[in-house]
Amino acid sequence: MQPCRKSLWLALSASWLLLILLGICPLFRLAVPPKPPPGHPQGWPHWLDAAFLSSFSQPGEPPEDAPQLPQAPRGSSCSWGTCFDTSKCRGNGLKVFVLPLASPTSEAPQRILASLETSGYHTPNTSEACLLLFLPSLDQRGVCQPLPPHWSAGKNHLVLSLHPALCTHRGQVMVAEASPSADIFRPGFDVALPLLPEDHPLQGGAPGQLQQHSPHSGAVWLAVAEERGGWRIAGIQDSACPWDEHCDLHPRPQQALLCFLRTQLGEMLPNATFCLIPGHRPATSHFLQALQAGCIPVLLSPRWELPFSEVIDWTKAAIIADERLPQQVLAALREMLPGRILTLRQQTQFLWNAYFSSVEKVIHTTLEIIQDRIWGASAHSSLLWNSPPGALLALPTFSMSPQDFPFYFLQQGSHPESRFSALIWVGALGQPPLKLIQAVAGSRHCAQILILWSSEKPLPDRWPKTTVPLTVIEGHRKASDRFFPYSTISTSAILSLDAHSTLSTSEVDFAFVVWQSFPERIVGFLTWNHSWDEARGGWSYSAKMANEFSMVLTTAAFYHRYYHTLFTHSLPKALRTLVDETPTCVDVLMNFLVAAVTKLPPIKVPCGRKHPEPAPLAPGGPGLGSETQPLGQDCINRMVAEFGHMPLVSSRVRLDPVLFKDPVSVQRKKYRSLEKP
Amino acid sequence: MCASVKYNIRGPALIPRMKTKHRIYYITLFSIVLLGLIATGMFQFWPHSIESSGDWSVEKRSVRDVPVVRLPAESPIPERGDLSCRMHTCFDVYRCGFNPKNKIKVYIYSLKKYVDDAGVPVSNTISREYNELLTAISDSDYYTDDINRACLFVPSIDVLNQNTVRIKETAQALAQLSRWDRGTNHLLFNMLPGGPPDYNTALDVPRDRALLAGGGFSTWTYRQGYDVSIPVYSPLSAEVALPEKAPGARRYFLLSSQMSVHPEFREELEALQAKHGESVLVLDKCTNLSEGMLSVRRRCYQHQVFDYPQLLQEATFCVVLRGTRLGQAVLSDVLQAGCVPVVIADSYILPFSEVLDWKRASVVVPEEKMSDVYSILRSIPQRQIEEMQRQARWFWEAYFQSIKAIALATLQIINDRIYPYAAISYEEWNDPPAVKWASVSNPLFLPLIPPQSQGFTAIVLTYDRVESLFRVITEVSKVPSLSKLLVVWNNQNKNPPEESLWPKIRVPLKVVRTAENKLSNRFFPYDEIETEAVLAIDDDIIMLTSDELQFGYEVWREFPDRLVGYPGRLHLWDHEMNKWKYESEWTNEVSMVLTGAAFYHKYFNYLYTYKMPGDIKNWVDAHMNCEDIAMNFLVANVTGKAVIKVTPRKKFKCPECTAIDGLSLDQTHMVERSECINKFASVFGTMPLKVVEHRADPVLYKDDFPEKLKSFPNIGSL
Repeated sequence: MQPCRKSLWLALSASWLLLILLGICPLFRLAVPPKPPPGHPQGWPHWLDAAFLSSFSQPGEPPEDAPQLPQAPRGSSCSWGTCFDTSKCRGNGLKVFVLPLASPTSEAPQRILASLETSGYHTPNTSEACLLLFLPSLDQRGVCQPLPPHWSAGKNHLVLSLHPALCTHRGQVMVAEASPSADIFRPGFDVALPLLPEDHPLQGGAPGQLQQHSPHSGAVWLAVAEERGGWRIAGIQDSACPWDEHCDLHPRPQQALLCFLRTQLGEMLPNATFCLIPGHRPATSHFLQALQAGCIPVLLSPRWELPFSEVIDWTKAAIIADERLPQQVLAALREMLPGRILTLRQQTQFLWNAYFSSVEKVIHTTLEIIQDRIWGASAHSSLLWNSPPGALLALPTFSMSPQDFPFYFLQQGSHPESRFSALIWVGALGQPPLKLIQAVAGSRHCAQILILWSSEKPLPDRWPKTTVPLTVIEGHRKASDRFFPYSTISTSAILSLDAHSTLSTSEVDFAFVVWQSFPERIVGFLTWNHSWDEARGGWSYSAKMANEFSMVLTTAAFYHRYYHTLFTHSLPKALRTLVDETPTCVDVLMNFLVAAVTKLPPIKVPCGRKHPEPAPLAPGGPGLGSETQPLGQDCINRMVAEFGHMPLVSSRVRLDPVLFKDPVSVQRKKYRSLEKP
Repeated sequence: MCASVKYNIRGPALIPRMKTKHRIYYITLFSIVLLGLIATGMFQFWPHSIESSGDWSVEKRSVRDVPVVRLPAESPIPERGDLSCRMHTCFDVYRCGFNPKNKIKVYIYSLKKYVDDAGVPVSNTISREYNELLTAISDSDYYTDDINRACLFVPSIDVLNQNTVRIKETAQALAQLSRWDRGTNHLLFNMLPGGPPDYNTALDVPRDRALLAGGGFSTWTYRQGYDVSIPVYSPLSAEVALPEKAPGARRYFLLSSQMSVHPEFREELEALQAKHGESVLVLDKCTNLSEGMLSVRRRCYQHQVFDYPQLLQEATFCVVLRGTRLGQAVLSDVLQAGCVPVVIADSYILPFSEVLDWKRASVVVPEEKMSDVYSILRSIPQRQIEEMQRQARWFWEAYFQSIKAIALATLQIINDRIYPYAAISYEEWNDPPAVKWASVSNPLFLPLIPPQSQGFTAIVLTYDRVESLFRVITEVSKVPSLSKLLVVWNNQNKNPPEESLWPKIRVPLKVVRTAENKLSNRFFPYDEIETEAVLAIDDDIIMLTSDELQFGYEVWREFPDRLVGYPGRLHLWDHEMNKWKYESEWTNEVSMVLTGAAFYHKYFNYLYTYKMPGDIKNWVDAHMNCEDIAMNFLVANVTGKAVIKVTPRKKFKCPECTAIDGLSLDQTHMVERSECINKFASVFGTMPLKVVEHRADPVLYKDDFPEKLKSFPNIGSL
């Protein structure tokens, strides 16, 4: 009995122990208010009666029944809707009248004025103008030239001051000024300009300095804008801080090292991956330098409005970060993926070349932004502004659909269509090019044939029967007619031909298939090359056979229909006049235009038999000399002057059919007639 | 003995020998123990219910039971709201600290019921939408329950509709929040601001520095880059399902469906209707409906009754006019119906305008121009209208359709401001999924011809064919533009030859030893590669002349975003087998180049190593084959462009070339290669390879021209 009781006691106490151990925890938990286990966020409660909660807005609430009419905008602030009268701008787009300069002291405004006058925006007539432009300048005393008194109250006025805030006029006047302070800037009304250096070129301008897509292996990682105007470079050390103040505050050995390592670069542009730019306004001049150098601007809480921020998506070309989180910014830069760095770098160059490299581009961009506001729904889309070649070269008057342009097939996930229109130019004494018509019509890609009859002879009554529609357009016997955007052209690809050209169907087919891979370029058979002529101190070009070429003759070439629109509507009038006077220049001009847009050389494809001679287009008369030196050597130099730079790019490549002249059976080859001697 | 204990537990009948006193004592004791055990067991087996019943008091409660907070009449009121606030002045970014995930942390205050001194409630406790909104935040990645780690604070005080709150008292309630600190980093959501008579366009509740996500901001009240303009949620979004309708012309060209339109606007609209007849329809509320019918869901024109919002799907353009407030819920209905909104509300800040490109989905017309609306809309080409209809519907789906969508978009916008380097791009915000899927963004999009002086780095992958390797090194070193030669030694069992045995060449030669014999080693982005151009070359490609290699480099410079290679290959669709087939015959087309000899940009090495989709990389290493096909897929997919095959066909020493020699075709090799193509196409989800019919030759190739004057005379010799 005794041992049994003992064991019973043992069992009892063990049970009690168990009970206490097991029981106390829950009891304890009950006693202490519940706390969520760490790591499991407690979250917003799920209310039992959530379904019975009432909605925030009750239908038929009074406010909707008490409509009110506009309250006048408070304060003097202006917006596009209230302070711009678009009714004056209907019809012929943005016409700008420039207020004559009263007493210009410097040459710059005069030059700007001159450049504006040659542009398509200018009108000499105030009544026709939709925008009145005023270029403020300083007089001898450095005092702002006052605005004409009746201006400040008038609508549709723009004060364009390329230099920062010398003259501030507000009120109903739109202000386009360099790096405006974010506090006074009126989004959607004012225009933010870049801060241009004094010696910024008026036209053309230096291209971006980036020579390769990815950063140089020897490139500095980070450059920091100096207040005095130069740059200093910072190393790549971890936790090293490039800010002066911080370095001084925490003189840890590593950072001290960094601070001593830095080199004064003076005014030199940095060859760095990132360029750190403080947020205060004096630093804005660094911004453009970095952009040109292809150094990714890292802007620390900028207190100024970024240039053309209304249309340019700066997040694609710059990093805008908070200056209060330096370590985080640096860490983010260090961890940035190579793909992002690549994209940002390239975008800086595109933006620089498209909108900033010359004063003219800056002014045209400003006017284009205002024009876009007037156009509303039919303005440039963000894609057109933010991808090459840029909005100045992509005219929304051509089409509202990006896939109609030669530039955006990839972004749109579309392809060039598989048909082309042949445009045959019949010059002064030309005969109907019957053989050529047959050869072209034989191509399975040909959609239509257009004859541009510029001959003095009467039109023939009968044209050969073709499988595709044939249309005759009567030209005005001007060379620039050739590149007029005729509404009868129904395809995006144009095969431009001269009545003298000799082409086989096979050649046409192959060239067209190649063009489909390069829809933004000219694809042609005969080529010229340009070169710098030391002796004459100018550019010259030659039709001699050479290892390189930079131009393709438009007497037989494929290109996109859009270039007709650009040729007619965006080239300066002076250039088109030049071409009409010297018709031999027309090929050069078209090549200049396409090269300026694409920044790439044209494409050469092989021609089967020998062409009679690579003759320039000369609709003016029998001037088709057999000499290899093309006529009108001077036009190339005049064009360089008008463009502001030499846009042509040379190529050493010819694209041949895959089996071209390969030692296989001719039967295997698709374009065998190309190989006939 | 011990067994008796067991029996004892079973019941008193089994312990008859004990004294009754003892028996009662034991029975009581055991019962207590038993009860205790049972109770413990219940605690243990119900632990979750107990814990959650602990939570229950927080989670599954009634809104009516929340704690009451009495606000003394003299408790502080925040400042009115600072119009000059910007992120860098009023927002305390330090609270967001450094977050490796680049995601802000949001804290939600717990729900309280605020009453004034007299015990009168300050507002309705919480609306259904605000509850949904807080639930959405709480369920998102942004949420934190740790107030100390939070970067953004969301009060649970519901101010979605200003009319349901008492302004002064609500402001006092805000001011007494534990982390209020002048409203810094606090986010308020409001959809219906203002009240009679002047209807301010922003919430009238004094809120000091707090950010406001408001529906119906005007340019005068909106703090650019600080506030967030949000839509006015339409409860119809949840009530009525409108299936997506294909874009195209619809019955009505222009429709006005709003019920309370200012008489002046209505006059203008009716004038339009009179002028343009059937294509314009101006509706009003129904006056003659019987009581039972829902007037919210009906609209009338004269005696015709229409169902709203279904009717919106019958119109191409729908007018969204300003009422007393700028923001109108009808905007959401209109977008849902795929009708293009014509916004006529001067100075209105459209929802999420900081990130959304409204030009693509709407037409904004100044009030002054209302009479021209019809002609303005008619001038828009049909194709663009269809694009806008699609875009409108997509905006609704992505950012309007639920309170959750609105809440998350708002937080994303604030997040992007704080971590701008990790921000979502314009395309991600604006492009509909179909466009995102189809579009290609070439990583090397800038038209640029790299300078010749840069040169290229040749990378030779080798295992143990030393003799052949040395010949390749000697041949390649003759190419003028070669700037460095990298030998990737893929043999772990054997050391590379001694330094003295290697050929002496004019450029640096580096040997990299690999840890494993993997094919992908050839495409590793080695630090030693200092040039952009890379020439991948096999250790047995000795037949390429110096001219051919130099010309290949020149071609790459003109096409730096493409694979530029020598032997070309083609993929074909096998109609019989219904799958892709690999082709190495003499064809008129190419879609791939072999990387046994190819130039390409070094960035593609990075992509191959770190961004190759799916398991392709491991698959290639496991099969020891098809690394070149994988590279062709990768480059074509990312650039959307075809390869460039350089120079005429040559005899290459490669398995499949035996076919050209007239010997037996290595059938298994071809089958394997075909399998690779099919495998990769399924991983990529598409066939990215592009077929072209051209190859690149020097300008004067085979032209009648003196050979010695040609830049690249020695090309194409077998």
